[in-house]
Amino acid sequence: MFERRLYFHVDWLLLGAVLLLAVFGVAMIYSTTYVIAPTGDHMGKEVMPQVYALVIGLVALLVFLAIDYRLLAEYSLLIFGLLLLLLVFVLFKGQTQMGAQRWIPIGPFHLQPSEFGRIAVALVLAMYFGENRRGAKNPGDLIIGGVLCLVPLLLIAKQPDLGTAVTLLPVFVGVAFLAGLRLRLLGIIAIACLPLGLFGYKFALKDYQRQRIQTFLDPEQDPRGAGYQTIQARITVGSGGLTGKGFRKGTQGQLKYLPVAHNDFIFSVLAEEQGFVGVLGALGLYLFVILRSLEAARLAKDRLGSYLVGGIISGFAFQVIYNVTMSAGLAPVKGITLPLMSYGGSSLIASLAGFGLVLNVRMRRFTN
Amino acid sequence: MSTNLIPDDRRSLTVRLSVVQYLVAAIFVVLAVGFWIFQIAQHEKFREMAENNQLRRLPLPAPRGVLLDRNGKVLVENQDTLNIAIVREQTKSVGDVLHVLAAATGADEAQLRDTVNRRRREPSYRPIVLIENATQEQYIAAWARRLELPGIIVEEVPARRYPAQEMAAHLFGYVGEVTIAQLQRPDYDGVEPGTIVGQAGVELAYNKMLMGSDGAKTVVVNSVGREIKQLDMQLPTTGRPLQLTIDEDLQKATEDGFTAAGFNGAAVVLDPSNGEVLAFTSRPAYDPNAFAAGIKPAAWNALNADALKPLQNRALQGRYSPGSTFKMAVALAGLEEGIITPDFKVHCAGSATFYGRPFACWAKKKGGHGTIDLRHAIEQSCDVYFYTVANMLGIDKINKWATLLGLGVKSNIDLPNELTGLVPSSKWKLETKHEKWYAGETISVGIGQGQVSVTPVSMAVYMATLANGGTRVTPHLLKAVSDGVGWKPIDPPAPQSRVTIDPDKLQAIRDGLWMVVNAAGTGGTARIQGHDVSGKTGSAQVISNQGRVAAQRAGKGGDLRDNGWFVFFAPRDNPTIAGVVFLEHGIHGGNAARVAHHILATYFAKLDAKPLPPPPTHEDLHLDYSDPYAKGGPVGSGGGH
Repeated sequence: MFERRLYFHVDWLLLGAVLLLAVFGVAMIYSTTYVIAPTGDHMGKEVMPQVYALVIGLVALLVFLAIDYRLLAEYSLLIFGLLLLLLVFVLFKGQTQMGAQRWIPIGPFHLQPSEFGRIAVALVLAMYFGENRRGAKNPGDLIIGGVLCLVPLLLIAKQPDLGTAVTLLPVFVGVAFLAGLRLRLLGIIAIACLPLGLFGYKFALKDYQRQRIQTFLDPEQDPRGAGYQTIQARITVGSGGLTGKGFRKGTQGQLKYLPVAHNDFIFSVLAEEQGFVGVLGALGLYLFVILRSLEAARLAKDRLGSYLVGGIISGFAFQVIYNVTMSAGLAPVKGITLPLMSYGGSSLIASLAGFGLVLNVRMRRFTN
Repeated sequence: MSTNLIPDDRRSLTVRLSVVQYLVAAIFVVLAVGFWIFQIAQHEKFREMAENNQLRRLPLPAPRGVLLDRNGKVLVENQDTLNIAIVREQTKSVGDVLHVLAAATGADEAQLRDTVNRRRREPSYRPIVLIENATQEQYIAAWARRLELPGIIVEEVPARRYPAQEMAAHLFGYVGEVTIAQLQRPDYDGVEPGTIVGQAGVELAYNKMLMGSDGAKTVVVNSVGREIKQLDMQLPTTGRPLQLTIDEDLQKATEDGFTAAGFNGAAVVLDPSNGEVLAFTSRPAYDPNAFAAGIKPAAWNALNADALKPLQNRALQGRYSPGSTFKMAVALAGLEEGIITPDFKVHCAGSATFYGRPFACWAKKKGGHGTIDLRHAIEQSCDVYFYTVANMLGIDKINKWATLLGLGVKSNIDLPNELTGLVPSSKWKLETKHEKWYAGETISVGIGQGQVSVTPVSMAVYMATLANGGTRVTPHLLKAVSDGVGWKPIDPPAPQSRVTIDPDKLQAIRDGLWMVVNAAGTGGTARIQGHDVSGKTGSAQVISNQGRVAAQRAGKGGDLRDNGWFVFFAPRDNPTIAGVVFLEHGIHGGNAARVAHHILATYFAKLDAKPLPPPPTHEDLHLDYSDPYAKGGPVGSGGGH
């Protein structure tokens, strides 16, 4: 399955950058969860699970690298169906944490199927548009593609996990765009979505979700409540300065002014402790990873590979951009993790597996 | 199944991928600029905000200086108490927390709200004390429900403790939260709202010295307000200990005397040589401990509503007719003005007529005192004698000498809110009533009735001045101040006035005062074997005879019994103690003399290094409850003996 010569075509630079980001993530999680206690300082309980997830993620990356993506695409409907099954299972049997039902406990681990949604959707969409001669120019195909994306999206939103659900949209848009979706059509969809969005805001969103948006627009109206995170995020980032407060020296994260800093706000902690220099470094790595991946899409041997990479990387780029914007208090607080760096095993494993596919496509550009 | 890219497709794809690449790169540039604005351009602002997030300056209250008596015994001290406070920033709903706290501790919710409301402008990290001096039960109740009480903390703070409870309450005064009015005064500069300051008595008079200065600590707190570490600590400076002139044994004897007698009133005992206050009381009293950690409104209202006015410092603020105790002032005026000599005699037939009006002597029923000289007139407290001398003197000469002896003027004791008594003069009447003084009005003044009113403390000064030969000493309470290393004695304040009195003339009055106690006089109950106590009783009407009859007819209640005075100094030659015992509605001056007896007995026992006499019982005092009015009806306009 894995030919020796493919080894020489692995994009080591991309792999290196991805691993570097994941290691940075572990370091930042270590820093922000470090426990200072009268009984003795010690490492936070979040660090080791993240390290295990990194190892498992590397295995996943190898698996998704080794199996020819065309073979995977053949089974994409099966994989997609499996995902839907898991999502339905989660809705009924999942574990509830912080008011949301997202997890399936597997031994000591908690699997979050929604995180794997992007890969499954990217596979199935790439497969659908890649096989289709007409690409995404035909509105009928577009609707079928949209439905393929919307079904898991609604299942995830029902958990409720709007943040993760929304990340499926850029996957669809990315694949469709590369498959020839007309910009005019995209504009029409966007305009059509506006009243839908307003309707959704009024009727479909839960109170706390509406409040998040309101307080983002004016955080000072409730500085202790929902606006708190936005204000604290800005303070965290701004107080970092040029070179930051130093590793494990960030006060905002260490003293828990920023809630769940190791999770959604890991980039704020990085900005606080490593400063603007660290921010530029991390942003540079992410940009490199995205551009390099898009390069892989350009080099892909077939449309399937190109769309697959495009879908995966669109979701990834959207997550990175949204999370970084939110980390600086410039976007409403949503449960959108920073891929590769945020705490969370499923997220890390899914991201690495995704890059396995990206490397897979690039590596097999010369094969038949 | 997979479709290889055909060149046409590839071109379109390349264009679209480039679009995405440029788009992503542009967004990243925007993001970098955004971070540049926050982290570089506005860094200073956010750095400060982060510091404010985590640094807290918390006051460390300074214990007040302790109060010691003249022998170094502790009179007032501090003890740690538990305060339940709220840190508003640690709670999302102050209202809910107060509700739960009120339910748990039995505190009044409306009052808790009020407390928070009053201090809502202060920084939200600063604790607001809700329940001062919390009981163990309240503390346990709050602790048990701590999960429902975010932001509620328990602080251990030094609070004032008055071990002797009601003893000398008016002297010590009490402490309380600084008032808004006080905060606006320049002498309260630098005092933070919520600080405990003196509000009465010595606590108020010497607040600055007693207060010390609060310390503060700067701590790092996490987002839920838990203290993570301490950065910097300024220890509080304890207030300076003060040594008072009070003698605890004598003070206790005074209180015991009043307790046994069961009367309200006041007593002030001085060292006549320098004005040091040896004992000072006002009854009824209050327990200053109730104020120490914030008085409950109910208790405060009860104190204010009490008809007996326990908050009034009778020694400084009560103004009463001196009755016969005023006679020495008239005698001294007569002697010094050359109107009479000690041998000047008057015939007392039980009453005398002045300006067409009869004035009775208290001894009218036994036919008067007969022909009597000054010494015996003082001893027997003969009213007719002093009507006569007063009439010869006129009001203004009486006023002059009474003032020189300390009556009708402030003593300027180092306690707040002293009131001035009144010794009338023609000038006073013209100024206040725009009328001329009638000679007939002087007659009653001669026996300390009529317009004359005095405060007990001024009576003590009066006796001290007679005792020391004319120096109107300033009564004072502060003997020494500790500067942390050693005691620094405080010089007694300068006398208010000094007058040279002819020793022979003064001696005649002193002889009379000695005879009051040690011969056939009215103050025999104050006699102490082996010690020459000199003194004078006085019984002063609180209402005119006609008024009393009218009140009785109208069935109006209220205590109308005479006030009882006893003023004294001892020993007769070179006196070392002088003072006054005033019994409100004490009926007879002799009853006051019985209380004074216990004070003097204690004083001399201490002087002689003998065991102190035990506190007297009520029966020991053999008080005279016979009401002169109940027996024989009115005894003329004067009365008093």
